[in-house]
Amino acid sequence: MTSQAPLLSVKDLKVHFPTQDGIVKATDGLSFDLESGKTLGIVGESGSGKSVSSSAILGLHRGTSAKVSGEIVLNDTDLLTISDEQMRRRRGKNVAMIFQDPLSAMHPYYTVGNQIMEAYLVHNKVSKREAKTRAIEMLDRVGIPQPDRRVNDYPHQFSGGMRQRAMIAMGLINNPGLLIADEPTTALDVTVQAQILDLLQDLQREFNAAIIIITHDLGVIAEMADDVLVMYAGRAVEYGPCKEILTHPEMPYTWGLLSSVPDVTGDTDARLIPIPGLPPSLLNPPSGCAFHPRCTHKDKVKGNLCKTEMPELLPGNRGPEHTKRCHLADPEQIYFTEILPEIAPDLVEEFAEVNPDGSVGDAEPVRSSDAAAEAEEKKI
Amino acid sequence: MAINRKPIVAVAAAAVVSVSLAACGGGSTSGDGGGSSKEASKGGTLYYLTRTSAEHMDPQRMYVGRDLSNMNRLVYRGLTTFPITDDPDAKFSVVPDLATDTGTASDGGKTWEFTIRDDAKWEDGKPVTCEDFKYGISRTFATDVITGGPNYILSYLDVPVAPSGLPEYNGPYKGDHQEDYDKAVTCDGAKLTLHFRNAWPDFNYAAASLRSFDPYREDKDQGEKSNYQIFSNGPYKLEGKWDATQGGTFVRNDQYTESSDESDSRQANPDKIVYTQGLENEVIYDRIIADSGDDAYAITDRRVPPAYYTQVTGEVADRSSLVDSPYVSYLLPNFNQMKNLKVRQALYMATDVVASTTALGGDKAGTPAKSIVAPNIIGYAENPNFTAPPEGDPEAAKALLEDSGEKLPYPIKFTYAGGTPTLDKQAAALAEGWKKAGFKVTLDPLTDTYYTIIQKPSNDADVVWGGWGADWPSIATVIPPLFDSRINLTENSNGQDYGNYKSDTVNKMIDEAAQIADVDEQAAKYTEIDDQLGKDVAYIPLELTKFYFVRGSKVTNYINNPMTSGFPDLGAIGVEN
Amino acid sequence: MTAYIIRRMFTGIIMLIVMSMVTFLLFFSSPVNPEDFACGKNCSPALKAQTKKALGYDEPVTTQWVKFAKGVFVGRDFPDDPALKESAPETIAECPAPCLGYSRTTNSTVTEQIKEAWPISLSLAITAFFMWMIGGIVFGVIAALRRGSIIDRGIVGASLVFYAFPTFFIGLFLYKFLAIKWEIVKIPEYVPISEGGVSVWFQGLLLPAFTLSLVYMAGYVRMTRAFVLESMGEDYLRTAKSKGLAPRKVLYKHSMRAALTPLVTMAGLDLAGLMGGAIITEQVFNYPGLGKLAVTATRNFDLPLVVGIVLVLAAVVIVANLVVDLLYAVIDPRVRVG
Repeated sequence: MTSQAPLLSVKDLKVHFPTQDGIVKATDGLSFDLESGKTLGIVGESGSGKSVSSSAILGLHRGTSAKVSGEIVLNDTDLLTISDEQMRRRRGKNVAMIFQDPLSAMHPYYTVGNQIMEAYLVHNKVSKREAKTRAIEMLDRVGIPQPDRRVNDYPHQFSGGMRQRAMIAMGLINNPGLLIADEPTTALDVTVQAQILDLLQDLQREFNAAIIIITHDLGVIAEMADDVLVMYAGRAVEYGPCKEILTHPEMPYTWGLLSSVPDVTGDTDARLIPIPGLPPSLLNPPSGCAFHPRCTHKDKVKGNLCKTEMPELLPGNRGPEHTKRCHLADPEQIYFTEILPEIAPDLVEEFAEVNPDGSVGDAEPVRSSDAAAEAEEKKI
Repeated sequence: MAINRKPIVAVAAAAVVSVSLAACGGGSTSGDGGGSSKEASKGGTLYYLTRTSAEHMDPQRMYVGRDLSNMNRLVYRGLTTFPITDDPDAKFSVVPDLATDTGTASDGGKTWEFTIRDDAKWEDGKPVTCEDFKYGISRTFATDVITGGPNYILSYLDVPVAPSGLPEYNGPYKGDHQEDYDKAVTCDGAKLTLHFRNAWPDFNYAAASLRSFDPYREDKDQGEKSNYQIFSNGPYKLEGKWDATQGGTFVRNDQYTESSDESDSRQANPDKIVYTQGLENEVIYDRIIADSGDDAYAITDRRVPPAYYTQVTGEVADRSSLVDSPYVSYLLPNFNQMKNLKVRQALYMATDVVASTTALGGDKAGTPAKSIVAPNIIGYAENPNFTAPPEGDPEAAKALLEDSGEKLPYPIKFTYAGGTPTLDKQAAALAEGWKKAGFKVTLDPLTDTYYTIIQKPSNDADVVWGGWGADWPSIATVIPPLFDSRINLTENSNGQDYGNYKSDTVNKMIDEAAQIADVDEQAAKYTEIDDQLGKDVAYIPLELTKFYFVRGSKVTNYINNPMTSGFPDLGAIGVEN
Repeated sequence: MTAYIIRRMFTGIIMLIVMSMVTFLLFFSSPVNPEDFACGKNCSPALKAQTKKALGYDEPVTTQWVKFAKGVFVGRDFPDDPALKESAPETIAECPAPCLGYSRTTNSTVTEQIKEAWPISLSLAITAFFMWMIGGIVFGVIAALRRGSIIDRGIVGASLVFYAFPTFFIGLFLYKFLAIKWEIVKIPEYVPISEGGVSVWFQGLLLPAFTLSLVYMAGYVRMTRAFVLESMGEDYLRTAKSKGLAPRKVLYKHSMRAALTPLVTMAGLDLAGLMGGAIITEQVFNYPGLGKLAVTATRNFDLPLVVGIVLVLAAVVIVANLVVDLLYAVIDPRVRVG
């Protein structure tokens, strides 16, 4: 991260929902920065607060009972301090969002073209005809064949991948500085997923947009992200550059995520290890480290600390850019001796070759990244 | 004037009926004496608000008391008519109308002669002739076209009867055996002569009550299609068409002259009379009680619903009237089931008419009856067999029942026209009384199918409910239709003899009565028959229905005429200008 | 599309035929005999048989139905008595095709009766329809937007009340207070536009239409509220918001469009049902429409009229169903007819 002021800077973001049973702390103190042209991957299980945080950036909680606090500075403006109308004018123009399920995210009764044009018309004083030309242009750009015809189709007449392309066209039509992609490929076929990711990357280069990509799929992270933010129970538990996090994860939850990614490269020795237990309740989060009830390594910390004290998000041994929220004293050691051999035995050697003493250096991406790379090759 | 003409009418009437224990016998209690003190005045518009639509406007087909009286005052003049009176104790009398006198009977009441006035005109200016009467009377014989209506003439007129039971003469449309009719009904100039098979000593009363003997213009007759056609010879005529469901408007008939009408029964006060049919009772009384706008000029034939009794106070009470109706309701023991006389007597003794009437609404709804005949009918007498107190005598009843030799408790099934809370309450009140005497009562309420079921000879009810009003003020229109087993009991139906009563003694007495030419003598004979019915407990009288009305404040000369069924008399009523 | 419509029409006609048969069968399976009603005073068995014959009820049900069906195409005479037609043709009521029968209680052909009553029910139905649609949607949307507030609770509560109370009661209540006591509206009566002009027609119509609309509005408020709330949770609404659309546009263009579309089906069918007469409302306000006619016909055991009304009502519902389906295909692009 450079010293230049970032495009987006989120500080201590909290999104709390008051309910009859108490306050649900969906996001509880989230901070990160993002520069133009860069991609931040936010990863975590369902209910970890990923989508809630990104909705907060768009101001979608306005008008509801949700309490949003902290700072969301976009282009030097704190989005939490501006009026509803000012926020509205930024939506779709400065920050756009594409959603997980493009079928339900598009209005069934309006044509795709109409919905894309609408996004353009609301921020630009142009005629409908111009808007339509622009919509066709965007559809063409995202790879819809015969866009001048398909512009008049209804969403149900598009395939899943085409709908997501159309959503991207809609999101990018105003050339926003920030694009939030909330699980953009989850609802799509595997083969289509890669095409969409590729498209996003192409467009990012073209428009120099910053992207926040929300996913639970580390493969997507590996392919897309510059930085990675791992969320658990409404908080960041590990944050740093993508390569760093994927090769030298220091938080047992991240290990868990890595362990539960199926290996498609065919390493028959690799084990798929699900994270035990369920995501915690956000209404009554566990004491101490929120992950401790599911953590298999908590015994390695002395004095029951995991249960009693919430660890701070602090740099470990890997330098200031890699922060994590964990009491473990030497997570690296544990990862390379206990975790990696289980989930990717073939990589242990690879790492060992790079660093025969077992210490950690700049390693090649883990296999998840390979999977993505392979998928990338298969497409075209 | 039959309450029972149409089952549905009876059910509807019963739904609002209730009994009381106020006045006894023939008298009447009334809100302000029945009549209004305001002097009659000519002009203005009178509004007639009602619920039940008139089913027929054809004089030969209409049979509902209200319509018979009203149309007689407005548009259909007859041979005779009833005078205007509001004296509740007035005995029935008739006055000449289109005839010059009230008719002359000869041949022991079998032949009647009338002379038709020469100065009465139809609404198109043509004179009303004897031939018009002859034609009108003939229409009832066209039973394939003119259905419904009071058809007494079919059994009375001296014409040959076919094996089917109907006269061979089949009315003016087909005209088969016309010569039979031409012999039985003749016109000699203005002189109309009718020949009957049996004595009909009170024919002139029937002529005043019913419209069957009214004249009809042959050139206006379209048979069935004329059902709602009104071609007037009275002081009013219909403006435009009569709407079967909504009603119509009557305006003055300029061809009618007062000089041609010496009956004194048609003051014809309002210039216009507007009929609105199909209104709910609640709506009618909301409007009349509110008394605003045109509703101040309104009258109705609908009784005040019991729920509105409390609103009839102060100024509204001044506009109310409470009079006797001609309708009596009663219970009939089923003679196929309840064969033991002592059991029937016990049932009578145990019947609590007071409780039954209270359930119906109290003294505004009815008063205990002492006979199946209404008190102002010629020949009425309190039936000497019905001596129990109105609230019943359970002790005596119990003694009778124990004495009957039957096993106790004696089970009975009471089938009644139910379907409303009021009627269910009434049935429960009756059952309560019977239980005290040792009956075990099963209640069997029926709605639409009531008459269909109780008319089945195989019906296993022990007691059923009935209601009746005389067709003309003669006991002869009460007893034979209800208790002559020969005309009622057939293989498939008990006709109107719902109790399957069959007595050769009574049948013989009915035949004797039919031969009596003198009205009063005949009535005395029927009183004897009623006594016999009482001895047999052929029926158990419940209550004489009361009429409780409210009218608009601008209505003048308001009269409930006992001779026009107790309904408001349109011959007298006017409105303030 | 055309083939679809033809197919639907065809099944509709089959349904009408079946319905007419069923009505005949039901009528004759009733324990009540129509001739008991028509046969005047002191009816002897011979006279009753004669009356039955005069009414045409003496023939087997099948024969009666065949005659009825034939009448629809070639017309009929009433009574169907050649001898009478010979001697007194003026008494024969002609019922030209399409003849649905001749009603003796109202003394005219069923077709004429329906033609007279139809515009009255139609006036009532359409006026009430507009009232309840506007009221239902406006209050439903307000309740949805203010969900949980006092306004919402008030609206939902009131609609529950109107939903729960019998129409008869509501009608009489409004009649008593609005028309009679406070004289806010005129005493309801039907005046054709041709007689009194639009204003008089409408004044007479106001209260019955209002009563009817209240009953339906109650249901529509609740439905609208539910549909709007449902649509507000939809993903595409979030998309619309995230595009930067003004809240107003999100509500009207996106939310309402989705929420109101399902109402079309209900509204179409409800309107069609009402065109066949609002039985209770017409009864309370003495409105001589098809509903009142149906009650009268049933009370009087007037078979031709009952059958005629049943068939007309069924036909309206069948056509309305088709129209609604076609309309739905227009307003919901996902639906295709065929």
